[in-house]
Amino acid sequence: MARTPLLARCAAAALAIATLCGPAHAQASDPLATLSPEKKAFLSDPVVLTRFGLTAEKLQVALAGRSAADVDAYATALMAVVEDSKYKAGRDPSEIALNPQARGWNAGTTVRPKMFDKLKRDDGPFSLKRYQFQKGAIPTFADAPVAIRKEDLVAGKVEVAFVGVPLDFSSGWRDAKHAPMALRGMDGLVGADADGGIDPGLVLSIADYGDLAPDYMAPDRGLDHIRAMIAEMASVGTIPFIVGGDHTIMFPDVAAMVDTYGAGKVALVQFDAHADADLNDAHMISDTQTLTRLMEQNLLRGSDVTLVGLRGRGADVATQKRLTDSGVRILSTAAVTERGWQAVTNDILSGLKKGPENIFVSFDMSVLDPGDAPASGRPVPGGISMREAIPMVRQLCAQTKVVGFDLLDAAPILDPTYVSRMSANYILHACLSGIAMRKTGMSVETAKR
Amino acid sequence: MPSLSAVTGWSMAGIAAIGAAVAGDLPSQLPNAGTPAPQMPAEDDMGRPKPLELPKDVEAKLAGIDKAKVDFLKSGVTGRYVEKDALFARIRTGKPEEISAYIDAMQALHAQVEFKAGRDVAAIPLDTRSPWFNAWKARRPNSMDPKRDVGPIELTRYVGGWGGGFATFAGAPVAMTPEDLKAGKVDVAIVGAPLDMGSGWRNAIDGPRAMRMTGGAGGNDMYSMINPNAALKIVDYGDIAIDQNSTERSVDHVRAMVAEIARTGAIPIVIGGDHSLEYPNVAAAADVHGKGNVGVIHFDSHYDIGRGRVHLLDHGQPVYRVINEGHVRASDYIQVGLRARGPDLETFGWMRNKGMRYHTMVEVEKWGWDKVMARALKEARGSTKKLWISFDVDVLDPAFMPGTGTPVPGGLTMREAQPIMRNLCAENDIAGIDIVEVAPYLDTSYKTALNSNYLLNACLAGIAMRKKGLKPGYLNPVSVDHGLDSYYGKKN
Repeated sequence: MARTPLLARCAAAALAIATLCGPAHAQASDPLATLSPEKKAFLSDPVVLTRFGLTAEKLQVALAGRSAADVDAYATALMAVVEDSKYKAGRDPSEIALNPQARGWNAGTTVRPKMFDKLKRDDGPFSLKRYQFQKGAIPTFADAPVAIRKEDLVAGKVEVAFVGVPLDFSSGWRDAKHAPMALRGMDGLVGADADGGIDPGLVLSIADYGDLAPDYMAPDRGLDHIRAMIAEMASVGTIPFIVGGDHTIMFPDVAAMVDTYGAGKVALVQFDAHADADLNDAHMISDTQTLTRLMEQNLLRGSDVTLVGLRGRGADVATQKRLTDSGVRILSTAAVTERGWQAVTNDILSGLKKGPENIFVSFDMSVLDPGDAPASGRPVPGGISMREAIPMVRQLCAQTKVVGFDLLDAAPILDPTYVSRMSANYILHACLSGIAMRKTGMSVETAKR
Repeated sequence: MPSLSAVTGWSMAGIAAIGAAVAGDLPSQLPNAGTPAPQMPAEDDMGRPKPLELPKDVEAKLAGIDKAKVDFLKSGVTGRYVEKDALFARIRTGKPEEISAYIDAMQALHAQVEFKAGRDVAAIPLDTRSPWFNAWKARRPNSMDPKRDVGPIELTRYVGGWGGGFATFAGAPVAMTPEDLKAGKVDVAIVGAPLDMGSGWRNAIDGPRAMRMTGGAGGNDMYSMINPNAALKIVDYGDIAIDQNSTERSVDHVRAMVAEIARTGAIPIVIGGDHSLEYPNVAAAADVHGKGNVGVIHFDSHYDIGRGRVHLLDHGQPVYRVINEGHVRASDYIQVGLRARGPDLETFGWMRNKGMRYHTMVEVEKWGWDKVMARALKEARGSTKKLWISFDVDVLDPAFMPGTGTPVPGGLTMREAQPIMRNLCAENDIAGIDIVEVAPYLDTSYKTALNSNYLLNACLAGIAMRKKGLKPGYLNPVSVDHGLDSYYGKKN
């Protein structure tokens, strides 16, 4: 009993008394009137009430007819929840123990040195295709040749490299770990874009860099490896196209860009129904707090963040205010509906003109309407359509210096059809087209067709 | 008096401490997360690299090389980096300085791969600054709801009919606290534990929801002509809180909650969630009934004795952790339905040495299900005082259970699984049951949830049979035969 908070014991005693006394002491008008000033202030704090799913009105209903002792016990019980929710040394473990006896502790994230390859080969991306004019049998992103090490990217002067990061801890439905595999096996990433008028596979040197290894049992562990690997890709001039994985991955992605281009030199455009800006989680990172942690660690300034497509419950007023106060530009799905995708895209572009030159685009599948992409870990109805998303992404990638792109939280098992996978690949293709247009100097007007 | 814990919102650690004080075994209740990792006994360290024997000519070629480097090669750890024939070929053809550099590179690689204190962090730090550090398991104070008597809460509106529209396990009333269980003299409390971090496909998080929303768990079992809902006091105990970003943090709380149920005298039935749950579930049973007093029958296509991994628990390691921490003797473990890739021969040997009773599908192939079932049932009866049934639905063939994270073809049929579940529950003093790895999104049909519920129903019927004193293998004489003649020899 030594660990039992005194407060809690008092509450229990108080309630026991209240139960004995019964409704004889029921108060008349304001049930909060008999409380101590501290408790009254606590139960009058709108932030506290919201956290408990209460309003002042609901509280009045709940407490009506209760005795003063009972109301006091009510306040005490809620205060105890707040108190016990805090970390307490000695009672709560401050970390999760791992097993240092594990053999091959780092084997899953150690890159095999070239000298231990079974076969020798020259550096550079290599094709897995047998035939000249057939699709390959082994699925790769954009039917592209494979690169394994940084040296392959350098030798092939690779401009865009796809890489999978199958981390799967989305707080919603899961299966993001299978997205890289599923998107490799789906059409939509090759050929000319009828609207953009350019075949990115022809214009750009593209490679499939395989998957990076996350820790399947902990989102908080192993992100340093992801960050280092992506920074390494960027360091040789390759634009990483990262396919997640849940939205936790945006953290190492953006951090890697900052490692490469410098703090304050990278802006983020996040297409997402959710802000991923939760506070006060016990974990150092997870998919609902990615943006919070990026800003907290000064990897991004608020003014370097554009949130596009916010809607639904992931975007409550308080969160929006906190973000806009720190300089974040929010362009909601409602803005796309009211003013059209072109006007919103113009706003995104004009906002970016004032900030850093290097742009990282993070595209969460939930920004799309579930009709176009049911396979999203945290879908929200009423999203933007593919007819809006494709030109928005294409223009963004054509008219700014995109240094990295991630497509996150596609969870293929949630969609028994091919639709989500194809939508995801067309989004990736739209950005590839944009980058190709920028490279060839194709006019903005053509891009806007 | 209403539940102390529910009224005051005490943290679960506080509740566990009280429970432990009552049970008088405080140390076993200490949280696992963050405590030093348990040491693995040397005999459990399987998969150790075997020493590498060097052919004579290779050994001769290494004559001039530093002895420490040659010893490194002989230790056999090089197998992870290069196949031995390739290694030998390299030594045979290389110049001494090339060979030396090659071994240096391999030693450097090995140093990078293995754990190194100071460089590698043997823990995952949490954000202790968070004011809502424990919010995930904070209990809702009773006082936030209108006052009610303790006991199971009926959610039905009508005297007859189909219930009140609220999906509960087996259509049972709801209980929120141990006081509800005691006041209702509850026999069986079914509780969800949506823990979902196993490998393979995920969605076990929706297992409890799917089983509540699909029929089959409640109602008459024709084989015994017993309706467990009438014969037993069953409740739905809601779900146990899970930290969806950490198995390790979650299982301490699961263990406390399962023990909370068992201490009231009710049988806990835990609906997962992934198979990591077997560890906190069985540990909780041992907390309540005593270490060594509980045996386990583990239905699964997988052996789940993984060990020596970076994470101390995942859905492939619960059996090892239960045994290693001494909650259940290895010889009190019965496994049924194994057929996945593991264990390897070395681990089979370990299981035999430990006295584990494994029944693979290979045994079923050779002897047929009836004989294997009879053998497993006999072993269960001869085991400890109390029996925990840990039922991974992937023991069934994917034809019956497509909605599971790591399905393996060639499994049991429902007609094989139902009788063994009914008989186990009828013949043994059940400490508790878990049904795990139901992942409904992987099944576009209803059958995974329906079949899981029917297995639960068979077991509930079995528990009721035992309560009524019916003999093992009992089948109701009226439902077994029309009885109009003596076709089977004796008129029913």
